[in-house]
Amino acid sequence: MALPISLRSSVTPPELELIASEQLIEIIPLISMDKTAFISGAYGPLRPPAKCRLPIWMATNLKLKKKCHIVPPEWLNIDFLQDRLTRETSQPEFCAMPFRFAEVAKIILDVASDDVENPDKIRSLLKDLREARQAKSREGITKLDHSELTLPNLCSMEINEIRPFFIRSMGVLTQLVREPSAAGDI
Amino acid sequence: MDNDYYSIDSILAENQKIQCTFKVEIPDMGHLDGGAERDIKPLSKMQIPLWMAYILIYSDYADFSIPTPFNAKVRNALNAEARSVRLSGLVGQGGSWYGFGKMIVQLLDDAPADEMSRILTKAFRDRLLEVIDQAQHFAAIGTGGGGSANGDAAQMFREGLESVERELFVLAQESAKRTKRWYETTDKSVK
Repeated sequence: MALPISLRSSVTPPELELIASEQLIEIIPLISMDKTAFISGAYGPLRPPAKCRLPIWMATNLKLKKKCHIVPPEWLNIDFLQDRLTRETSQPEFCAMPFRFAEVAKIILDVASDDVENPDKIRSLLKDLREARQAKSREGITKLDHSELTLPNLCSMEINEIRPFFIRSMGVLTQLVREPSAAGDI
Repeated sequence: MDNDYYSIDSILAENQKIQCTFKVEIPDMGHLDGGAERDIKPLSKMQIPLWMAYILIYSDYADFSIPTPFNAKVRNALNAEARSVRLSGLVGQGGSWYGFGKMIVQLLDDAPADEMSRILTKAFRDRLLEVIDQAQHFAAIGTGGGGSANGDAAQMFREGLESVERELFVLAQESAKRTKRWYETTDKSVK
């Protein structure tokens, strides 16, 4: 295998961002455009005051050319995130978030922070949320054993971050644990 | 750590000697010990590389004793505080303590093998969190950052990491770094 060890078991964060960019998001177009066919499907037509659903990659592209406003998803606002943060810090388990929330939130805050209400507050909430969840996945290490690990509601970016060493540790544990049935093998 | 024929880790793990006591006389092999004796006498003790010891033990030519890296003293130290044991010091630089242990487990019978496996597993789990914590800490402060971040104990621990733990350290550090870099870079260019 010619790939570096770190790339064998997981994808990189930019790749995850790319995957997340396939999700649809609402925009308010500032230009009109007919329905257009792409490999992933046909999107449009864009008729200015009417909202339209497009993949995120297309929305960011239009946004960067100042040809639309992005409507942030319903979870990307202070009330929702504050509520989740409170729950995250008061419960032992992870609370449910959209699977690719980290990627989507970052894309939107990067290119369309003017379409989001109070982006700085949201950024800091997301950061707190991330840290609270990181502390929990650290707890997961102590529960690690050779056969299974359940961390429900973990999101793609978080899974990706812990994947390389979690699977390696589980592999090591598999080697070290002696199953009763394995007695006398070799 | 697997038993793959082509696994370099496995070959390195076998590069350890264990003390064997011969049960039978083996003529003309005295040079194995580097001694002047011509033959190996029964009951003579010898440090044999693990890869050779297998066949001697399975063929019932020799018995072996638990090697020093896994003796009672080390076990007690691991029980007391697994994180303060310098595993790398036990098996030499770049040695694989867990890999060596795993091979000993395979040589042992049921009850001692279970005990040994339990010790290895417990040591690994007790140390893992500290390995990951330190790796993430170092990823967070960046590569050039200060060496003694949280004291001498942490540095001692890092120096005592054995090969598998080092591998995990690197994996965790790389992964944390990549994620951190992603969170911190913003790309606003029109593609």
